[in-house]
Amino acid sequence: MAQEPGARSAELRQLMQSFIDERLAAKLEKLEPDDPKYQELQLQYQYENWIEDAARRVGQLQVVSHTLKATHPDAKGTSLFVSPDTLTAQPCGVGSHLLEKDYATDVVGNAAALDVYKFLKLEYQGKTLLARALEQDAALLAALNDDVLKAREWLDAFSSITDNKGDVRSSSRAKQIYWLTGDDPTQNDHFHLLSPLYPSSLVHRVYQHIQHDRFSEEAKAARQARRDNKASETGYADYPNLAVQKLGGTKPQNISQLNSERGGNNYLLCSLPPVWRSREQRPPLKTDSVFPRFVRSQQPRWLLVKLREFLLSNPPANVRTRTRVDAYIDALIDEMILFSAYFQQLEPGWSADPDCQLVEAEQLWLDPMRAAQDEDFAARRMAGEWVKEVQHRFANQINKALGKLPVGDGEHSEWMSRVHKKLNALREVLDD
Amino acid sequence: MTEPNTLLILPRLRIQNANAISGNLTWGFPAMTAFVGMSHALERKCAAAGLKVSFPAIGVVCHHHEAQVTQGGYQRSFHLTRNPVDKTGKTAAIVEEGRIHLELSLILEVDLQDERLSGKAEQAAFAQQVADLIATLRVAGGTVQPAMPGQREHHPWLINVDEDVDIRKKQLRRLTRQLLPGFALVLRSDLLQQHLEVKQQQDPDADLLDAWLDLSRLNHECRQVEDSVEWIIRRDHPGWLVPIPVGFAALSELYDAGQVEAARDQTTPFRFVEGLYSIGQWLSPHRFERFNDFLWYVDNRLDTGTYRLNNDYSLNQQDKEF
Repeated sequence: MAQEPGARSAELRQLMQSFIDERLAAKLEKLEPDDPKYQELQLQYQYENWIEDAARRVGQLQVVSHTLKATHPDAKGTSLFVSPDTLTAQPCGVGSHLLEKDYATDVVGNAAALDVYKFLKLEYQGKTLLARALEQDAALLAALNDDVLKAREWLDAFSSITDNKGDVRSSSRAKQIYWLTGDDPTQNDHFHLLSPLYPSSLVHRVYQHIQHDRFSEEAKAARQARRDNKASETGYADYPNLAVQKLGGTKPQNISQLNSERGGNNYLLCSLPPVWRSREQRPPLKTDSVFPRFVRSQQPRWLLVKLREFLLSNPPANVRTRTRVDAYIDALIDEMILFSAYFQQLEPGWSADPDCQLVEAEQLWLDPMRAAQDEDFAARRMAGEWVKEVQHRFANQINKALGKLPVGDGEHSEWMSRVHKKLNALREVLDD
Repeated sequence: MTEPNTLLILPRLRIQNANAISGNLTWGFPAMTAFVGMSHALERKCAAAGLKVSFPAIGVVCHHHEAQVTQGGYQRSFHLTRNPVDKTGKTAAIVEEGRIHLELSLILEVDLQDERLSGKAEQAAFAQQVADLIATLRVAGGTVQPAMPGQREHHPWLINVDEDVDIRKKQLRRLTRQLLPGFALVLRSDLLQQHLEVKQQQDPDADLLDAWLDLSRLNHECRQVEDSVEWIIRRDHPGWLVPIPVGFAALSELYDAGQVEAARDQTTPFRFVEGLYSIGQWLSPHRFERFNDFLWYVDNRLDTGTYRLNNDYSLNQQDKEF
């Protein structure tokens, strides 16, 4: 930019002056010219007076990236300004170090001094006054005051807004966690005390991202396209089970400026475990086997279809193919064990119900704890004949599900023997 | 990590009102850091009770959960509690807390050190002693509930992991079967990294945060099929992936003990930190191939101020053929 430094300073000065003038105009609007306050305000909003006062009041504010009060509104202690580029890059971790240059900074302190923050957020040539103050911009220095000493004093005052106020302190209401840093938890000196602060700048980026995904025109249009079954270039995103945590109750501004901009809403992404659909599963009554139900359920059915497709594709008889068939059978066995676990969670003795028509082997398999209350049952379970029977029934069901494979008889029996060999492993699993 | 020598299984603990808010960006299950921290507290309790043992790693299987939330529209909010008024008689500031009831099995790796446990009875007594100590601790902020009357009681037990690979496999199978049905959390930083590469192919400016958010949501996309369109949910990776906190990163220098006012004690070095997040996967125990698939342990990088946990599932994972 081939602009004279003098010209830039003049424009900067003009920018600051009009900010002050606008604020004055807004205040005067409500007053009659003969009100004694009228003159008082005019004096107060003279450039030098206002800046002088602002340079004093800026001490009541702190620009931060990490706040304490979000943890607890009554917590008093250190909040921090940490520039993302000074943080350690975490190769596989998400945190504030990922923020790029144009991240939102937060401000905490006396809300009555927030106009000073607005002043510092004024932008000139794509850079805020605050950023200029922080890098000791010569043009800003010249613009502030012709008296260099005065200008320097103000600049230093404004750039101190990111400084921590007072001594480093935490709070009894802050989170403070003992974290093991040595290898012996019984030794007090093997710990550090970690105090997590609220990453307001990072949260703000996530918040804006989610707001955009939920409420932007683009997202709305895509949702509408989906309802109308029409095309959309962008698509849209849902955040299942997104939770909203309110920070600061009815006064989000008491927490921080950015929290206020977010209306006190803190979005939390969901990491709930999956829910067992069969949680309320009832005992398998009025049927002689659970296997038909097994092969109909989602995952086993999918595995069987895939296995059948694979065998139909006439794979070469080599190690790779054998490994793959084995992997399918292993997965099916895993699924069967999981399937059986549902029933084993039921009230012990359920298989004694007169309506339970399961063959005995399956009763012995699926209702193991009945053994504790039924000696006869326990004895038959101990005898272990049922294991072979269950294995046999499982193999039959797999055979049936795979159907007749239109491959040569030799190959067919080769694969079937493979399946059966693998199923021998099942005996081991059942028999403990 | 090599396979553990000894494991202690604490099956089916009912935890009431555990902390459901695991970080500033996540909710739904307590952070694994809470369980690892509990294992350290437990080790101190054991030492005080004269048991010289340590617990280098811990795994958690969740059998049942009941989050204390309400659903309004597309978002959840937390059930609030009415708290006592402050000393001036005014309503105390509201700090929203998320609660969840859990049924968990804890699997602790045990280093028995000089503790000699000969025979089944001594092992069972040891397991019970540790279980009794756990009942006195907070587990992820929640309380351990005794078994309800008439309900099946679950006894803790010890597994001496065999050196023989085949026997060890059998032991693992037996254990994982006893942990069904349920889900355990494993770390999938590998998938997060992999997903970043996928995202960067579409958009060179994409960063880890974009990849993380992309994995944490459902992406509805539309594609052209012949003369019509089809809407699908894009799935780049199979499995139940969730965003999780994994530890903390330093924001400040490490202050000497006593330098920071209002610290919990004046004898421990103090540091301001922020949470670090990654991707986890909920996995049914029958998918485990090694004991340390589901064990989590502390893996700090103190030189860079990184305090985090690790889990070896992705190292152990070999791509299945389908």
